[in-house]
Parts: sequence; structure tokens; C-alpha cells
Amino acid sequence: MTSARGGVGSRIGLKLLLGVILLWTVVPLVWMVASSFKPADELTANPPSFSFKPTLDHYNALFSGGNNIGPYIRNSLLAAGLSTIIAVALGCLAGYGLARSHFRGKDHVAFWIISQRMAPIAAVVLPLFVIFRFTGLLGSVWGLIVAYLTFNLPFAIWIMNAFFAELHPSLEEAALVDGASRWQAFRKIALPLVLPGIATTAILCLVFSWNDYAFAVTFSGPTSQTLPIAASQLVTQTSIDWGQLTAIGTIVVAPMIFVGLIVRKWLVTGLTLGAVTGE
Amino acid sequence: MSVTAEAAAARAPVTHEPTRRRLPFEIKMLAPALLVLAAVSLFPFFYIIAMSLSQVKLIGGISFSWAALDNWSRLFGDGAVWASWVRSIVYFIATVGLELFLGVTIALAIHEAKRGRNILISVVLMPMFMAPVIVGLLGRFLTDSTYGLYAWILRSLHLYTGDILGTKTAAFAAVTLMDVWEWTPLIALIVLAGLASLPRSVLEAAAVDGASYWGRLRYIVVPMLGGVLIVALLIRSMDALRYFDIITNTTNGGPADATKIVPIRLYETAFRFFDLGYAAAIGLSMLFVTILIANGFMRVMKARGLAR
Repeated sequence: MTSARGGVGSRIGLKLLLGVILLWTVVPLVWMVASSFKPADELTANPPSFSFKPTLDHYNALFSGGNNIGPYIRNSLLAAGLSTIIAVALGCLAGYGLARSHFRGKDHVAFWIISQRMAPIAAVVLPLFVIFRFTGLLGSVWGLIVAYLTFNLPFAIWIMNAFFAELHPSLEEAALVDGASRWQAFRKIALPLVLPGIATTAILCLVFSWNDYAFAVTFSGPTSQTLPIAASQLVTQTSIDWGQLTAIGTIVVAPMIFVGLIVRKWLVTGLTLGAVTGE
Repeated sequence: MSVTAEAAAARAPVTHEPTRRRLPFEIKMLAPALLVLAAVSLFPFFYIIAMSLSQVKLIGGISFSWAALDNWSRLFGDGAVWASWVRSIVYFIATVGLELFLGVTIALAIHEAKRGRNILISVVLMPMFMAPVIVGLLGRFLTDSTYGLYAWILRSLHLYTGDILGTKTAAFAAVTLMDVWEWTPLIALIVLAGLASLPRSVLEAAAVDGASYWGRLRYIVVPMLGGVLIVALLIRSMDALRYFDIITNTTNGGPADATKIVPIRLYETAFRFFDLGYAAAIGLSMLFVTILIANGFMRVMKARGLAR
């Protein structure tokens, strides 16, 4: 659709449209980051203040004293990181197995996997809460890791299946003719060719679990609360500390935007569960 | 795949293989993940079915007492839950309708842009990576009636002066727009991938034949995008039932139940009123709807030749 609109008028129209799109996207983000550097008294000014002397007060408050967010960051990294590693490792094996097999009932297995990924969180949280309560997983980081596996594992299997399925098996067949074992053909030939797929899967698993609120708010205890919980806890009946809240918001969001954009080229495959392939 | 392994895979009855050594390679690769998945998903699934048939009490440990279909008959007669379903459907139509319209518009605009396309895409995608809880809290900050930036803009333009999250219609519109803000980029991304895959020759031929931009859009581009739009629709429809973080952290279902969609209703039934058996019945009804959506998704995958 290049060279579509001829006139100068429509080129200006396009620029205007792009400008509006950018403003709509960026204003809330910029406002959040700017507010995290705003002096406390100007945060709730009416009308909102646009020029201010930047301060690091809110960030300093987050890393000192009683509500130090250090442990929250550690819990977030542990829960999201470990569930991602387990999901991607198992997902690579199973995704390959699924892509290369033709057994009867394969469709049913595939359907079961995808429906697990789509299951409503509220409906998953409920039985897990009761099960965790009498297995002692309630309140521990391990409980969160298991909870995140309920969506990260089916996701990883499914997406790795999509990436392996795109890979023609002829290369692996050639390796087998040369005397390699099935495992070697997988490990030395297929796996290195889907590295972008592995990176995309890992990053999306990380983003989903790092961003989780519903599981964390239900399952985590004093020793396992994650960053999103720290953010929501700043909202109390009486007041909201918007300075610290926007600072935590920035800390939660910035790394995910950064890693997310690294795999931009393959995102569409990952986020449509393999139904649409990239540019 | 080697001929022998393929033959073995076709021949082997997967479930009753006597010795582990003779299991096909693919099954060995699948087994660990499927065992873990079964442990974390099948057990809870049967558990929630049992819960929905019982009265569950959490006092002093946990106790189940058989309640047959009590929870289910209550569910079908519960006007409040039906009202939540209606709200969920309205919420779904509003969010997804806007997201599809804006997503297609944004994708077309970016696709037309001559310079800076990569940067444009990267910027536009950013909201999608945000934790929904942060989107909700930020939305609350922006719409606060005294110091919220967006509330102030609306007031200055004399468009809306009330308390946005405290008024039923405005609150519903606000949580809808927060979802739209976060997830429109996903639709734009999907449509951009669809646009990139359109055959250039067809479009050029149409242009040579004198078709206008809008004509080409209406008769060539949109019909050819049909497949990816359906994928986008299905992905967003399962998410509409899946996530409830934004609403939990803004209105929590209020004011006066105006934003109480089904997942919020379930969560409150389970963890505020501790009516776990009844919540399980609500949860299973949600799962049922999700399975219908997943079914549609699989059909689309097959039609697109992607599921083998």
C-alpha cells in the first residue's frame, strides 16, 4: 500500500493522525515518569503542574526505611524468573515433540494445551488457593512459581511448537542420515535455529508473570509479595502516595518495555499464539 | 524426521507402551512437560468441579459437604451473576470494538508512514508491556477529579466535570478506555503483520486500474485482513474473561456494580464472602465459555493451515 495517497492534504492528514496516535500512547507514560520525579506537594496540585524541580525523593523512599521494596524486587525476579526458566526448558522439548509427531489424538492434546493457556485466571486461582492452603504453598514464592507455570508452561509449549513447525525437518533428516541420534539432531540442528523463538518465548513468559497481579494478590504472603502488590498496597483507605506509586510503576514497567521491544520482530507470533506470523 | 521413527510413531499405541525404551522420541520429549502441566492444571480442574458440587468451608482447615447441584441451580437463577455476564459482554464489545477500529487505523497510518516506521511501532507498542495493575493505578491518577491530568483536560474543555470513577457510565467508559489504551497496540501489531503479507501485485494492479485508496481499502485490504482480524478478535475475547486487574485496581466493580464483570464477581464471591462452592460454579461457567473460544481459535488455526 505504498504510494497510496497522492495529495499534499492527505500527507498532512497522515502526519496529524500519527501525531494524535503518539500523544494518546505516550502522554500517560510520560506523566507517570514525570510524576515520579515531582516534589510531593506538586503531585496533587490543581490544576496539574507542568514545570517543577525534579527530585529523587520518591525513589529514595522506596529503597530505604520500613517499606523498602528490595524484597519485593527479589520475589518478583525469583517467581517470574524461575517459572520462565522451567516453562521454556520444558516448552522447548515438548514443542519439538509436538511439532514432529503425528500420533492419533494429537489434536486433542494440542487443544488441551491451548485451552490451559486461555483459562480465566479467576477460575484457576480458586482451586489453586484451596490446594495451596493445605499443601503449605500458600504464602511462599514456590506457590507463585507453580501458579505461573499454569499459564507459562502451556504458552511455552504452544509457541515453541509453532516455531519448530516452521522449521523444515529436512536438515534434521540429513543429520540423522549422517549418523546423529534424534537427540543430537534436536540439540545441535533444530534448537540453534529457533533461538529467536526461544528468546521471544522467554521474554513473553517473563512479562506475563512479572506483570501478574491476580495470582500474587491471592497467594503471596508477607515473605513472597511481588512488585505489583507493593504498588497496589500504596493505595490505602485514607490516602495514596502517588509519588512512590508512580516511581514503582516506572520500575515495574521500564524493564518489561525494554526486553519486550528486543524481540519485536517475533512478538506477533508469540502474542497470537502462532496464528499470525511476523513481518 | 527419520522414516523409522515416523513409522514407529504412527504404529505405537501411545498410552500402553510396555517398555520405556521403545517409546517414540517425540513422546519422550513431550512427556515431562505434559506431566507437569497435568499436575498443575488437571488436578485443579477436577478440584474445582468437586468444589462446585459441595459447600466448602474454610474454618479450621477445610471441609467439603456434598451439596449436589445446589450451587448450579443457584447460579442459573442468580440475577446478579447474569447481570455480570451482560456487563462482561458489553465490556467485551466496547473494548474489542474500539480496539479493532483504532488498531486497524493505527496500523494503516503506520504502514503509510514513509520514515521512522520502526521507531513509531516501538513507541506505539509500549503500553502492551505494562502490568495491568499499573495501568489501572495510573488511570486512577489521571482521572482523579481534583488533580488528575485527564480530568483536568476534560474540565477545561467543558466536556465532563463530574467524578469520573465515581459515576456509573463514566467509570465504565474509563475502565474500557484503559483496556483500550493497553491492548490496541496488540491489534495494531497483528494488523501490521497482516498488511505486510498482502501481495503487492494485487494492490498495484488495482491502483493502475484507477482504484482509489479508500476503494482499495474497502474491497481488497479489509477482506484480505479478515483472517488476522478474526485471530485478534479471539485472542482479545479470551483476555476479556481472563484479566481483571485494571478494574480491581480502579473501581473494584463499583460504583453500584457498574463495572462488576464476571471475573470480579467470582473473585468477590470467593475471597470476600468465602462462598467457595458457589464461586467454583461461576468459575466453571467461565471455563466453559473459554473452551468455546479456544475451539473457535483451533478452527481458525486449521483454516490457516497452521495447526498440524
